[in-house]
Amino acid sequence: MSKGPIPIIIQFVVLVLLQLLLFNNIRFSGFINPYVYVLFFILLPFDFSGSLMLVLGLAMGLILDLFMGTPGVHSLATVLIAFVRPGVLNLIAPHDGYDLNTLPRVSQMGLIWFVKYAAIIIVIHHLVLFYAEVFSFSHFFFTLLKVFLSSVFTLVFIVLSQFFVFRK
Amino acid sequence: MRNLLRLIFQYRVLILFIIFEIFSFVLIIVTGSYQEARFYHAGQKLNNTISNKFQNTRDYLSIYKENKRLAEENTRLYNLLKSSYRISYVDSSFAGDTIGVRQYTYIGARVINNSVNKKYNYITLDKGSNQGIEPEMAVICDEGIVGMVKTVSENFCVALSLLNPRFGVSAKIKNSGFYGPLSWKETSADNAIMEDIPHHAIINIGDTILTSGYGSVFPENCMIGVISKFKLKGGNYYEITVKLATDFQRLNRVQVIRNEFRNEIITLEQSTANE
Repeated sequence: MSKGPIPIIIQFVVLVLLQLLLFNNIRFSGFINPYVYVLFFILLPFDFSGSLMLVLGLAMGLILDLFMGTPGVHSLATVLIAFVRPGVLNLIAPHDGYDLNTLPRVSQMGLIWFVKYAAIIIVIHHLVLFYAEVFSFSHFFFTLLKVFLSSVFTLVFIVLSQFFVFRK
Repeated sequence: MRNLLRLIFQYRVLILFIIFEIFSFVLIIVTGSYQEARFYHAGQKLNNTISNKFQNTRDYLSIYKENKRLAEENTRLYNLLKSSYRISYVDSSFAGDTIGVRQYTYIGARVINNSVNKKYNYITLDKGSNQGIEPEMAVICDEGIVGMVKTVSENFCVALSLLNPRFGVSAKIKNSGFYGPLSWKETSADNAIMEDIPHHAIINIGDTILTSGYGSVFPENCMIGVISKFKLKGGNYYEITVKLATDFQRLNRVQVIRNEFRNEIITLEQSTANE
């Protein structure tokens, strides 16, 4: 899992497929839907081009929208996290900044930093996604509960992936 | 002009972001039911092909649960069958009255141990006296007869397999009604021998062999198999080789049958024999 373009493309494809084929079929008690594909944006290198990330965000969002039949909903959320990710990274940067030779992984940045970073991205994504999906604030607290529970599950899957897939 | 381009380049991320978000937002708003349907259809077509494949796999993985459900449903339906009820043709009942007294009760069970290659083959089932199983109850499966319960513990029972020389059942030829004992002669796992069919009986290869209902273990007309060959033995009686309908190598779900009138019949027969 280095910085080259090929691993990033593979991650993109694998996460889209995992989301569509596996995680879309996980419906704990009806309203917990983990959206694990967010992991793609979390794993991109620290100095990844902002505009390219936006293009990838739009592409991923539209692909997912196409398959889930929700035009615009996922792309709204993915473009947003692609945009805010550099800001989030700055917010939780270590004192001496990021070493550009490292990648945002548990193995390199530590568990606490990673959970903080992933949680912020996931919550932003899920907030936008769930409210865009219902497109109203009429069931505000019910939607908020969905956001919270789904975020927890997504976070658990993403942190687990760090221990099973991206170990080294 | 150059300054404008530089400005755009400098803020390209922000500009791209705004354009993409507006695009997404407009998508959400403008896609009325028609566009959404078109949009959905396009993606769904591809998605369906993929998820069909996945569904097949999922179906396969849940096959155990599904089988269990179907076996339970079979038990329920067997119990509703007309042939499970005894219709007493006395003056007080009229023709067409199917609400008789229940004669046969079916209890679904699963095979947890089975052999086909020994001399004396036995089948262990996962139901016992707690579930109402008693010795000498019939065991059948969807394909045909399987055996007879021999010993019972609280939660399990062991049945004589048809593939056991100690097992015998009264069989009949469906077309002509001639009956005779059928048992297994330690041959292969898919053949049994039926004897005592008189030489004047008309027999064809492929004729169906059913249970006769004598002996008060098996209900009448349970499938046993078909005639695969026959020969005259000693000039007077046919010895018929029956190809068994049950595939004993793949036995899984079976039904144990209780004859509610068995005790009454046996007591009556014994009291007659003792006279």
